[in-house]
Amino acid sequence: MTGNTEAIETFRVEAAELLERIEQGLLDLSRKPGDRALVDEVFRSLHTLKGSGAMFGFDALASFTHHCETAFDKVRKGEVVATPNLVSVVLAAQDHMRTLLGGGAGDDAVGKDLLGRLEREVAIASGSAGPEPADKTEWTILFTLPPNALVNGCNPLALLAEMRELGDCTVIADVSDVPPLDALVANECYVSWRVTLHSDRPRTEIEDVFMFIIDDMKLEIQQAGSKAIEPAASTAVDVPAEVSSPVPASRQAESRSLPKGGESVRVPAERLDELMDRVGELVIAQSRLSQIAAASPDLNLRAVSEDIERLSNELRNTMMVLRMVPVGTLFSRFRRLVHDLARDTGKSIELTTEGEATEVDKTVIERLADPLVHLVRNSIDHGLETPDQRKTAGKPETGQVRLAAQHAGGEVVITITDDGRGIDRGRVRAKAEAQGLIVPNAQLSDQELLQLIFQPGFSTAQTITNLSGRGVGMDVVKRTVEALRGSIDLTSKPGVGSEVSLRIPLTLAIIDGLLVRVGKGRYVIPLSAVEECLELPVEQDMRSRGRSFISLRDSLVPFLRLRELFQTGTEPDRYQKVVVVSTGSERVGLVVDQIIGDHQTVIKAMSKLHEDVAMFSGATILGDGAVALILDIPHLVETGQNQEAQLRKAG
Amino acid sequence: MSDELEVLTFDLHGETLALEASIVREIMDMTAITVVPGASALVGGVINFRGKVIPLANLHLAFGMEVGPTTIDSRIVVIELELDGTFTFIGLRTDKVNEVTTLDLTKKEPPPSIGMRWRPEYVKCLVKRGGEFVVLPDLHSIFAVGSHTTGGTLKAVA
Amino acid sequence: MAGSILTVDDSSSIRVAIKVALTGAGYTVTEAGDGAEGIRKANAGKFDLIITDLNMPVMDGLTMIEELRKIPAHGGVPIIFLTTESDAALKQRAKAAGATGWLTKPFQADNLLKIVKKVLGQ
Repeated sequence: MTGNTEAIETFRVEAAELLERIEQGLLDLSRKPGDRALVDEVFRSLHTLKGSGAMFGFDALASFTHHCETAFDKVRKGEVVATPNLVSVVLAAQDHMRTLLGGGAGDDAVGKDLLGRLEREVAIASGSAGPEPADKTEWTILFTLPPNALVNGCNPLALLAEMRELGDCTVIADVSDVPPLDALVANECYVSWRVTLHSDRPRTEIEDVFMFIIDDMKLEIQQAGSKAIEPAASTAVDVPAEVSSPVPASRQAESRSLPKGGESVRVPAERLDELMDRVGELVIAQSRLSQIAAASPDLNLRAVSEDIERLSNELRNTMMVLRMVPVGTLFSRFRRLVHDLARDTGKSIELTTEGEATEVDKTVIERLADPLVHLVRNSIDHGLETPDQRKTAGKPETGQVRLAAQHAGGEVVITITDDGRGIDRGRVRAKAEAQGLIVPNAQLSDQELLQLIFQPGFSTAQTITNLSGRGVGMDVVKRTVEALRGSIDLTSKPGVGSEVSLRIPLTLAIIDGLLVRVGKGRYVIPLSAVEECLELPVEQDMRSRGRSFISLRDSLVPFLRLRELFQTGTEPDRYQKVVVVSTGSERVGLVVDQIIGDHQTVIKAMSKLHEDVAMFSGATILGDGAVALILDIPHLVETGQNQEAQLRKAG
Repeated sequence: MSDELEVLTFDLHGETLALEASIVREIMDMTAITVVPGASALVGGVINFRGKVIPLANLHLAFGMEVGPTTIDSRIVVIELELDGTFTFIGLRTDKVNEVTTLDLTKKEPPPSIGMRWRPEYVKCLVKRGGEFVVLPDLHSIFAVGSHTTGGTLKAVA
Repeated sequence: MAGSILTVDDSSSIRVAIKVALTGAGYTVTEAGDGAEGIRKANAGKFDLIITDLNMPVMDGLTMIEELRKIPAHGGVPIIFLTTESDAALKQRAKAAGATGWLTKPFQADNLLKIVKKVLGQ
């Protein structure tokens, strides 16, 4: 069993989700200590984690989790109160489980220490709860199976065995309905049973024994001492959900994770990537087919080719949807971060989130995690004031941090807002001057001043706490966001708070591009960067040899000859074109030999061996199977300008 | 471990080199190569391998050889190599692919420290086979990230 | 305590999930991709339990259960079908067709095992 790596991988994914659920449940529980549904949820998740962990060979994890499960079982039964301390210990234990899940042996001392603390907290918490000794009840159960039960695979012996697991049983079979031999149908069930059961389990567990046939059979469950024998079907409705019954409980969990009530199959992320690759290949093969079909007089071939084209387009769209995940999966991580930061900084913080259902490509989500962590840390560490400071400033003691996501066109906008002290312009200016980023008393607009924060090496905190000083600065955040072809905006009002907003394309997997030819190579320019295309008049090309500017309406736009930048060693086409692109801060013309046309592109990442090549953000496979590189506009322009500067210096 | 090593042998400018068979994923005919401007000469291009875009390396340049013209014998050997913890497909341009064979490692010799035109760290060992030496290149050292960041350093080696 | 189980589902990932969970617990698992194949495999072997999806191409699960119950050799063999919680009416139809029990999708390995053991009386 342990050799089955595929299953183990599946378990890891599942376990990570369970741990996530446990963490969320515990965090919720720390605010709503008495919430039974939360207690049940945490218990169930711990239980499942233990069970599957043992099944897949994670013995250390299983046995460690077992102790937490036991503790929560006591909470669930009302023997122990979920005190904040108890929740905190289990929260810490949950971190240890993560380590154990990671395959690391985990520090045994850490585990022991946690279990010791857990035991103490349970002891303290149970003092206040007043455990009720579970009394055994005597139940009398009368049941008759439907005549076709045996044919349909129901095994009465299995039912009886299951009841024995609930407690001591006395079973009496009533065979009075068995007909004489000549009238007997061998596979029909004529026997009824009377069972006396001594058990501390609730009625629902007895009913669960019959879960598959309860609607079709005669079942009476009578509690000793109570006079009336109630038909089970009617009591089942009255039993509150809090009673422990494993099967309905897990159904509850399923329906919660599946709001639409549909089926779901868990698939490792790499499988999706593989599928994406296959779909990409299919699209390429299909476009070859289209070319052949278009050149063929065979109408049937053309019809089939069109069908395949439609199907492969639909398949690609479906694939895109499959890759979308709600941004809530990302946001939920921050509750723990904020919880920990509040404890470490002594600040009182409330995190609110909005738009968790907003869906974004999974790769975007993964890559946004670190920048967002940094931004949230920044807000809390530098933005929010201490409770005393806030009181003095006339604000509520609890600081607000808000994470929100929403769709806007083809982009998702994520904002991080705080109601802290805002950015101190004076300090930003002083720091920038000290760093030599600006000359003293430089004339800057407010936005330009704030943008300085994104410069490499910039940090405004007077004392770098252990929270924010993690070696990443806002410049790294900005670069990461730009690498996702997104942009970052910052607004801040002194004394009122700051807001950072990230605009990111919904998917990294596909972009709309402009396919161009430079020399013999074909390249893709992201359409989002393209402003316009025009011809480069020969005389202007000649005239601008020295100064690479083209006049566009009233302004002069610098341009780069991609042929020279790429060192194609080819002669320029007679009618060269200029593609005017925007880098965000400026407009630049890119001179190409030919504009081939619009091209929707599946983006492939460049390999590790080409990580150092900054001019390209990725590659794509064209209809004829050849590879075209996708231009990274900001980096390409930067490279081009450096090259030109060097040439000028040399020349 | 074992004294025997299963390898794929191929020709590079008249020399016979060998790759551990276990890292070879596919042998392809020459295909359209896309030049990557700004990349090192060693991995100056990319190709389409089963819908993936993978780098194409000219081992010739690592060993200071000329890249000859493409012939009917030219093949691309696709290997999968662990680089910095990630498995990466790399296409290797070869002049000719010979055979899958077994090398007797008892006949191996370390790269001579002098008298060799090649950078010794690029050669894992030489194995004598039928009167001639088969070169086992040290691919990790050749493709070590950072060692080929610009075209310039390689040209200097060559 | 192990046994031989036939799993019928058109989704190979579900089949794999079931197979992994059950072979891990010591059961032998045979797979079939639709109802018709399920009947062929059921006739060709001897199974202690059949787990089937309902919605499948070629022959759906309900029909397969009905057909299997017509064959005396398969009378009494427990048949569990996979369903989603909302399908109360479907549950009734499946039971009328001769199913023994059901398992709600999506399910986790321990839940599947619990149900399998319950039905097999293990």
